[in-house]
Amino acid sequence: MGNGAIILVGASSESRDDEDPLGIGSVACIEVAGRSALERMVERFEAVGITAISILVTARNRAWLCPFRATHAGVTVQVVSDLNFGMRSEIANHNRHELEHSFVSWASAYVETDLLDLLCFHAESKQVLTHTYSDQGPLPLWVVDCAKASHAPFENCLEDAAQALSSRYFVREYSICLNGPQDLRKFASDILSRRCQTDPCGEQVRPGVWIDEGAEVHRRSRIVAPAYIGCQSTIKADALITRLSDIERNCLIESGTVIEDSSVLENTSVGICLDVCHSVASRNRLLNLERDVVVEISDSHVMKSSVAARAPLAIESTRGIIDLRTSPMPAAWQLENI
Amino acid sequence: MYTRGPVVVMELPERLNHVEAEAFCKELQPLLEDDRPCIVLDCSSVKVMDSAGVEMFLQCLHETMKRDGDLKLAGVPPSVAVILELMRVDRLFEIFETAEEAVRSFQVFAPAAVAQSQPWYVPSLTDLKVAS
Repeated sequence: MGNGAIILVGASSESRDDEDPLGIGSVACIEVAGRSALERMVERFEAVGITAISILVTARNRAWLCPFRATHAGVTVQVVSDLNFGMRSEIANHNRHELEHSFVSWASAYVETDLLDLLCFHAESKQVLTHTYSDQGPLPLWVVDCAKASHAPFENCLEDAAQALSSRYFVREYSICLNGPQDLRKFASDILSRRCQTDPCGEQVRPGVWIDEGAEVHRRSRIVAPAYIGCQSTIKADALITRLSDIERNCLIESGTVIEDSSVLENTSVGICLDVCHSVASRNRLLNLERDVVVEISDSHVMKSSVAARAPLAIESTRGIIDLRTSPMPAAWQLENI
Repeated sequence: MYTRGPVVVMELPERLNHVEAEAFCKELQPLLEDDRPCIVLDCSSVKVMDSAGVEMFLQCLHETMKRDGDLKLAGVPPSVAVILELMRVDRLFEIFETAEEAVRSFQVFAPAAVAQSQPWYVPSLTDLKVAS
């Protein structure tokens, strides 16, 4: 008798699909300090001896999945038409393969609790499933008894902890739900400042500075710890990377540019002498977290993707999108009016 | 001045104006010419600092970086922290509560350095109000 894990990639409700101002898909699948939260969670499952790990993704969201950095032999990816149906089938499948319990988790959950302790708690509770909670509220991580779940309708219990079939487990350790770029930025900060157990990838070339494979850092640039420079990224002369910033793979930070308290996501090129603060940058989009504004930039000298063609110019905020090709150019930027 | 292994800790004077900064630079110059200098500037005694002090910090940083070394600040009082923040120089440095922490940070990563930087979700004016 063993245990399995099922990770659901996608939106748990329609509203989540709309919360993607940077157009990056599932935040959990985006690399943060070298590895995605999804891969980090897979590693945690593997660390407690779970070898049957199924990742379920809908066809519509299939493109969100990126290759893992390491090889995970026990991980299978299944494209399903409906996540709930897929989950139920997979639990029945686990039951057929004599797996006793299955962790069920949304990809957005990164939880550092003792998974073995959670399993023991669930086994002792003798319920169909166990909900997890943190001090922030319910976490999208459950433990399901495969045999009991195969014969009982439990899907509704996932969303409603008050159901009779479930028990509750309180997580005291680090946990985060990655539902948007704000969460991604917080996760990056937490990794770099060691508030969680998971490490940045690459080599710690000096205390608090992690440089990954193939990265080129000009000797006249300055990297203030803690910071992470991803695979194949280039930091040009006089650039400053500071205050919990992470530059992910295949990025280019041009001369004189400052990246402060920001995440530059993979395949992003940032032009010369710019000041990027409190932001998440992805290709030609920049989300400023203080103002909660996304700027889409068409000038490739400022910001661009290192893999895609230039995109239309528009400014997007929580209050809507202004397409600058059709709107009159303002005399001065009035961000509060957007 | 005192040393902790390869790290040199320099205590800054109470006043850091043009004259004092120049004198301090002269004292520091031989250390900056070492290979990979590791220097901590202990600012805990500083009461008054003007732009000459900031320039001195930048000059020292420039010299240490030229030689693959590093310069860190420790014990920065609120009045100096405000100046560094307003001139946006603070982000160039790792800043520590004490000189001992700064010395240790040359060997192991000390997340205490992070505590002084402002995360995006905390209004930066809060600390200024507390400091005043």
